[in-house]
Amino acid sequence: MVFLRSEGHLHRWLEATGFEPGATFPVTTLHDLATLWWSSRLDPEWRPRSVEESQAILDRVGLQGEFWRLA
Amino acid sequence: MDTFDLDVRRGVYSHIVSAGGPPSVAETAVTIGCSADEAAAAYRRLHDAHALVLFPESLDIWMANPFCFGPTPHRIIAAGRMWTGSCAWDALGIPAALHTDGLVESECACCGDELELEVVGERLVRGADVLVHFVVPARRWWDDIGFT
Repeated sequence: MVFLRSEGHLHRWLEATGFEPGATFPVTTLHDLATLWWSSRLDPEWRPRSVEESQAILDRVGLQGEFWRLA
Repeated sequence: MDTFDLDVRRGVYSHIVSAGGPPSVAETAVTIGCSADEAAAAYRRLHDAHALVLFPESLDIWMANPFCFGPTPHRIIAAGRMWTGSCAWDALGIPAALHTDGLVESECACCGDELELEVVGERLVRGADVLVHFVVPARRWWDDIGFT
């Protein structure tokens, strides 16, 4: 889960590392995801989230499709 | 996850927020009022449940996501401290978890050039043109969380 400056940097990084391309998206989406995913982490009443609840968060920020299936 | 493990987890996170780093098993045992063996067993169960990540072959806490206690390129200034995020996602998760503004100092994975992102009032006000790449599909995130 990395930051990249631009599409050009992404392509060069994938070439250099040999990684199969995964999913690329704007950091604004990641910010939305981080806010929804982590904002309850320090709540005294925190409980583990179910797979369905986690999947719903990914869906809500538009991260959908096979790559984003948790189970 | 039973009540005891939830108490241990809550104690771990409280310690992280107040002290800036994770508690040892011995510190957690004192906080919770249990034996060191009971605290150690809870750490292992929380690790297995992905509620904490321990360093390999150790009872030291590596990650209590989004907080990380090993070296990464992601530094976060928030709530008067410098934190480390495990990954891009966790870097932005630290201001979210702390419900505060934050400055993320990171780097482009390609060239190592510094990147800064700033969160103010839960809005990303700097660095919004940066891209994010996930190599590992969601189903396999926990196969090797250090790599993920």
